[in-house]
Amino acid sequence: MNSLVGPRSASSSRGRTGPGNLRIRKGLKIRTKLLLLVGLLLVIPWMGYESVREMEKFLLEGQEQALELTTQGISSILGNRTDLFDPEVGVPELIGRPLTSLLSEITEPLAIDAPPEVWTSAVGPLTYFSGSGLFECGPGYRPDSLIVRHGLALNQDAVFAFFEIDDDVVVYRDPALLSLDTNDQIRITIQRNDGEILRYLLTAQEPGRFSVYLMRANWRDVVDGQALRDISGSIEPLAGGYAAKLRIPRDLLGVGARLKFEIVDVDNPDDRAVAQIISTEPDPGSYEFGSVRLVTPELAKLIQPLYISEANITVWDQSYRVRAQIGAIIPPAREAFGLEQDQAVSIFQALQEKIIQFFDWILRSPTRGLADMPDESSTEDQRILARVLSEGEPSTERRRYGEAKLIVTASPIWAQGEVEGVVLVKQSANKLLALQYNTLQRFTILFLAVFLFLAFAILIFSTRLTYRVGRLQRETEQATSSEGRLLKDRIRAGARSSDELGSLTRSISSMLHNLGQYTRYLERLPDTLAHELHNPLNVVNSSLENLQYHHAELSEDKHLQRARNGIGRLRSIITSLTEAASLKEALSQEQEQLERFDLCSLLQNCVDGYQAANPGHRIVATLVPTVAWMHGVPDRVAQLLDKLIDNAIAFGTPNGLIVVNLRIIDNEFEIKVSNDGPALPSEIADSLFDPMVSSARDARKTHLGLGLYIVRLVAEFHKGTVSARNRPGGSGVEILVSLPRDLNA
Amino acid sequence: MATVIAIVEDDTDQRENYRDVLTAHGYEVRAFPDRPSAEAAFDRELPDLALLDIMLGEDMDGGFDLCMQLRNLSPTLPIIFLTARDSDADRISSQRMTAWDYITKPVSLEFLVARVHALLRISEQLQTAPTSENSVAVGSLEVNEKSMLIHWKGEPVNLTLTEFWIIESLTRNPGHVRTYDALSDVTRQGLVERNTINGYIRRVRNKFRALDPNFDRIQTVHGTGYKWEPDYE
Repeated sequence: MNSLVGPRSASSSRGRTGPGNLRIRKGLKIRTKLLLLVGLLLVIPWMGYESVREMEKFLLEGQEQALELTTQGISSILGNRTDLFDPEVGVPELIGRPLTSLLSEITEPLAIDAPPEVWTSAVGPLTYFSGSGLFECGPGYRPDSLIVRHGLALNQDAVFAFFEIDDDVVVYRDPALLSLDTNDQIRITIQRNDGEILRYLLTAQEPGRFSVYLMRANWRDVVDGQALRDISGSIEPLAGGYAAKLRIPRDLLGVGARLKFEIVDVDNPDDRAVAQIISTEPDPGSYEFGSVRLVTPELAKLIQPLYISEANITVWDQSYRVRAQIGAIIPPAREAFGLEQDQAVSIFQALQEKIIQFFDWILRSPTRGLADMPDESSTEDQRILARVLSEGEPSTERRRYGEAKLIVTASPIWAQGEVEGVVLVKQSANKLLALQYNTLQRFTILFLAVFLFLAFAILIFSTRLTYRVGRLQRETEQATSSEGRLLKDRIRAGARSSDELGSLTRSISSMLHNLGQYTRYLERLPDTLAHELHNPLNVVNSSLENLQYHHAELSEDKHLQRARNGIGRLRSIITSLTEAASLKEALSQEQEQLERFDLCSLLQNCVDGYQAANPGHRIVATLVPTVAWMHGVPDRVAQLLDKLIDNAIAFGTPNGLIVVNLRIIDNEFEIKVSNDGPALPSEIADSLFDPMVSSARDARKTHLGLGLYIVRLVAEFHKGTVSARNRPGGSGVEILVSLPRDLNA
Repeated sequence: MATVIAIVEDDTDQRENYRDVLTAHGYEVRAFPDRPSAEAAFDRELPDLALLDIMLGEDMDGGFDLCMQLRNLSPTLPIIFLTARDSDADRISSQRMTAWDYITKPVSLEFLVARVHALLRISEQLQTAPTSENSVAVGSLEVNEKSMLIHWKGEPVNLTLTEFWIIESLTRNPGHVRTYDALSDVTRQGLVERNTINGYIRRVRNKFRALDPNFDRIQTVHGTGYKWEPDYE
């Protein structure tokens, strides 16, 4: 018997404490892990961005090379054609901004004699000409000597120009000198639509009205000695300089005319040499006085077919004069970049607009960069021209103006072993950038869609997975009670699915099933064992009796007596083995035999009986209620109490006190049977009410561990619970049985 | 002519032990190890009393089958089941086949002989003429010790020998408690657990209630035993 009790209690205790001691590592849930994994997909857009950047570099190089080849091609076409660069050939043309682009429109005419403040407010913000550019001034420019602020206004009759000029020394015209270019003066160049160029020189002998002369191209010879009246103006000294107010009739300009002002500064009243000139039209062509630009029609015709979209091709001669040009860096319609502002009608479009704006912000739309593209870049152009002209080698540069990128290639044009001119090709790289941007945009949208889809799919998948794992866990936990008893022997949910989880579910289910079979076998074992033992026991018993009958003299034989005692003990073992099994069977039939009875009087009667039957112990009942109605089978409750008292007697000290206590806790009766025996070993505390578990270590007594199992069966039959605990203070054990009250009193 | 007792028991040792003790008490014993041999013998000649084991080798309910055969041949033949099976279902089956007693192993041979004697005496009584002689009336209950018959309100109660002895013991002093120990002696089975006594009482109550649903004379004195509640009128 001990071999049956021992291993079971040992294995159950080991099985119980094992997982409890397991230290679970901290970690993420499956769903979080999967989502983090999806997060790794975010590397893809970074990769995409990097590859697009690489592509950009590659394409830019390609574009650069193509541009170089084009430039060299053009330069070789133009090689050895000195006729094209003949300085006497060509149509002078002033290149500049159309007049209207500079003007603020006014309604009332401005009076020449009005104070400068009136003019300032009328012409609007003044354009600042510091003269820092190479072509605005000579190389020896001193900012303290000449700074020009300039504004233009227009009404229906005339153009009004206003200048604020900082000049350290104002040199008026000396009436004694005939020449006009030996004093501070303002030059006006007008290119009319028919190509006629008019040059006006304005000068004054003193503050007040200007004298106006029509000049030849060299600004030295007067076309007509008469001072003119159609252009009028006045000069007014200011602190550190002077203000100039001009009125130019629109009749003079005609339609589509171009206009250029030059402020000529003379600082030394003795030698009266021109110190510096600031032009409102900082065009290289204007550097040479008078010769605005020489366009060679033949050259223009030659390069006409070489038109490259979004590229500006210019041909320069040795004197940095543009001989021909074609194309523009910035395409005439910026809408080509998709910047046109549609009226956002629907919410969807508005949303789209927002998304595009967001992309612009994130990816730095190259079309924004175009705004940074300077309209003119003469300084840098001059530098590369100078280099090419002096070295005779083609040259390429990339320029950045904020977000704008410009590729500039220059190639020398050779004629008779000398550099005759330079082909300069400028092309915006922003078109490429725009392409790149579009690619990136498409890629990003695609990626976002894929990412969201994947994240969503994985979220759903992982949620489903987590749910299934959780359900399996729940069902597995519910399959056994906290004491380790098997409550159900299969898991239904999710057992049909074909994946690993389904297979795990099936494994657990079949494990539970096997465990259930084994448990049932274990539960049946005592009964089977008892049944099998009955027959041999009967043989021994009947043989002993026959022996005694036939040999009457042996009836007092001590060995026969001992054999009888042994049989008696065997019988009681077998009886208790079968008791639990037959109780289970009997209880299932007694479900309808419940009756209402007074637990109080039952306990009192029983305790009186126990006391009478066990004079060696003191058995006391302390019953708190006087009447305790419950619904059940009184015989079985008495049987439960039998077992509790048997248990208390077996484990209590000899002649000890056994107290049966009854009290009411809410809707339950609590029967507490306490003895003063040694404390329960903690390892069997959980399984004390399982069959074949006993804390008995005394081999002389028979303890199958079925008594408390019967207590549990009876209590559970009455929908009650059982528990055991050590009494506070170290000695004594309490067994507690809770049974529901009959509340229909 | 000696009284013939048939023993059907598959276990040789037990069979021979029964044979020895009964032979020693002057009975003629015919022992059979299995159902076919017993059946054949019963067809030829009926015994005066039959001791049957329920499980006969592989034949799980061989004893029941034999009981039915014997009951067909003789409605009054005393039959004792002597078995290791101690379930209510088996007891009820044996009762349905009107076996006279049901004893679980291990059985005390001394008590076995006493039971055989008692049953043969009853059988003899029934064969001569059922009389109301020796009948003791306890209120509505009538106990005939001689023929070991019990009547409740004039109706016979079909009790086994052990159950009869328990009722007889309880009614000997109505109103007085019979302790478990006293009842254990009465069953003549050696050491009997309280639970076994409870089982007997439960079955007896059920038999009375089958006749009289309001039967409540057998009172439980929890922890001690039972008592017969006398009539008060």
